[in-house]
Amino acid sequence: MASNTGFRPSRRDLLGAAAAVSATALIGAPAIVRAEAKTLKIAKLLPRSGLFAAAGQSCHRGAVVTPKVLADYGYAVELMHIDFESNVDVARTQTERAIAEGAQCVTGAFESGATLAIAQVCEQRQIPFVIDIGSAPQLTEQGYKYLVRNFQTNPMLVENGLRQIKDLMAATKVSFESAVYVHANDTFGTLSRKAMDELFPKAGMPFPLKDSIAYDPKAQDLAVEVTKIRAIDPDLVMVTSRSSDAIKLVRDMVRQRFEPKAIVSPGSPGLYDEEFYQALGPLADFHLYNLPWANPKSEMTQALAAAFKQAHPKNRFEVDCFNAGFTFEGILIAADAFKRAGTADGPTLMEAVKATNIERHVMTGGPIRFDEKGQNNDITSAVVQSRHRTPTVVLPADVAVMVPVLPMPAWQGRS
Amino acid sequence: MKALWGEMNGRGRVVLAVAVLLLLLAPTVATRYLVSVLTLIFYFVYVGQAWNLMMGYAGQLSLGHALYVGVGGYVSAALWVHFGIGPWLGVFPAVLLAASFGAAIGWLGFRFGIEGVYFALLTIAFAEFTRIGFDHIDVVGGAGGLFIPYEEARLGEWWNLRGGQLFFYYLAFGLAAIAVLVTALLARSRLGYQWRAVREDEAAARALGIDAFRAKMKAILISSAMTAVGGVFYAFYYNSLFPAQMFEMSRSIELILGPIVGGLGTVFGPVIGAFLLTPLGEILIGVTEALGINAPGAKAVFFGLTLMVIIYLVPTGVWPWLSKTLGLTGRRS
Repeated sequence: MASNTGFRPSRRDLLGAAAAVSATALIGAPAIVRAEAKTLKIAKLLPRSGLFAAAGQSCHRGAVVTPKVLADYGYAVELMHIDFESNVDVARTQTERAIAEGAQCVTGAFESGATLAIAQVCEQRQIPFVIDIGSAPQLTEQGYKYLVRNFQTNPMLVENGLRQIKDLMAATKVSFESAVYVHANDTFGTLSRKAMDELFPKAGMPFPLKDSIAYDPKAQDLAVEVTKIRAIDPDLVMVTSRSSDAIKLVRDMVRQRFEPKAIVSPGSPGLYDEEFYQALGPLADFHLYNLPWANPKSEMTQALAAAFKQAHPKNRFEVDCFNAGFTFEGILIAADAFKRAGTADGPTLMEAVKATNIERHVMTGGPIRFDEKGQNNDITSAVVQSRHRTPTVVLPADVAVMVPVLPMPAWQGRS
Repeated sequence: MKALWGEMNGRGRVVLAVAVLLLLLAPTVATRYLVSVLTLIFYFVYVGQAWNLMMGYAGQLSLGHALYVGVGGYVSAALWVHFGIGPWLGVFPAVLLAASFGAAIGWLGFRFGIEGVYFALLTIAFAEFTRIGFDHIDVVGGAGGLFIPYEEARLGEWWNLRGGQLFFYYLAFGLAAIAVLVTALLARSRLGYQWRAVREDEAAARALGIDAFRAKMKAILISSAMTAVGGVFYAFYYNSLFPAQMFEMSRSIELILGPIVGGLGTVFGPVIGAFLLTPLGEILIGVTEALGINAPGAKAVFFGLTLMVIIYLVPTGVWPWLSKTLGLTGRRS
């Protein structure tokens, strides 16, 4: 066949060209492989707008500083920050997009419906998915092979929260005669109530639970609910709330001059959000919340806190550390697995994720490890108390930076 | 098919045939991301078309259509999870229950003369109390949600809707195509003309001997039943259902935006609306990222602005303008 260009390569030319290509490939291939294996590309999916925007933003602040902190520990990650708008449909399509654009691992996603939508895509694409926040127990019960969770389930949160109340009583020598449980009637609150109903009788608590009172978090005030609590007059009020309704709850307690010995959240946010502190001032102090928390004595936590303060001078790490800490750990798990596996190939990376054993990390608890279902069962809760409008770890003693104050001081006379 | 064909002139038919062919072949060349976006578009075409029958043709404003999606999804998922009854069978009780809700709303609204915004409020109220009810029904997981287990062994059981992305793409495409055909058929039927008469002037329609109550009841029954089928698809596509996720008013609004933007009371309005809005959302995500706008919610702002511009420029919907501009429809439409 005649060449149109007039150039007819000889057999020698072709052999030469082939040899050159082969040599380039041989020399270049390891470099390419090395380049591919140098950095792990992680899609970080968060609800940064929509219903869960506040929590998503808080997590995002942690995610932003994570690559820099991890780099100091010898991990190389590149993050794709994706807002799924608190919308399940967007979560699914954006996961597909992230993977199409080269994401080799996915972490997220705070909200259970979206988390499951992401899990399906990851399962089909054989991409590891590290759940950093997501408490629905079913997430690790559905049989997904490319999913692990570094977070407590709802029952774990409540169970650990109750256990910490006993520790608190032992540490302060303050006893409670009775308790009332007050909870928002939203998804999280209703799930917590369910867990409380199941777990309180089994927990062997040294006081009876007199009543459980549900409330609408969108209500204008919680005067009726507080009146009900006041009528029972418990020493301990356990709450599952969000920040806006926690503000209403405390305000109505102050108005009605109801002063229990303690207000404790056995595993929910609300009592430590920035808006809670700003709205209530000194009245926001001395509330307790039993949650997994950033271990203030961990070197990695301190490194994360320093980076956080530098990157977000207007936000306090102490307030954001629950969300930021778990977000950081989710990325750490992926980065550590990648370092061990030496490849971003999905199945191999997932094997490494499942074999995770990280002793040095941020949140309270033992080494990060996963059971056969992908659940980390070694996360422990701490008792955290608001002191000078700052969440402060007060128990367990090995991670505490202050001792707990109980009973909490009267509403009047606080400064 | 004849009814659909009759909606368009020669050029329109060619465009439609080419579009259908391209969509059928799309998965062979498109990325999985694009396929997932198209799947979502078809879903919105389907549920949008179901709502269009009620609002666009019969003139009854429902702002609680998520109710039927939720009921359809929950019934079929619960039957599958608890009794192993597959969705092809489960769809019937799902449709029946959703239509019962529709009948209750319709009877209350139409029998007692609750019209316009008050009827819309009634639909919202039903969706809202159903959401609260589902929050407390333990057999479907309550507020904690109902999860359809991911069983690897069952993957490929298309008859149980246990398939991959490609399967759901063609299923959604089929549903959307059926919805368009049904709408075209109904639009040209006696019932369709009755709906339009009731929509334009109910008193005049009654004077002409049309049983307005019956016509409106048929609209809500057909619409709720169709929407419930969309709920079955949704449940098995996402494998999880939460009351807040299924029954929220924002879901109802999402569902009706397509027909409104595309053109109410037209066969292709919901199709064009869905093909505009869903990709628009995705494009805006890409654009805001490319522009380096790291402000969450920026996309929502742009989305809202774009909608305002579209509605300002083509207040009767995109399809009537588009079909006229491109000369796609004949005199009859």
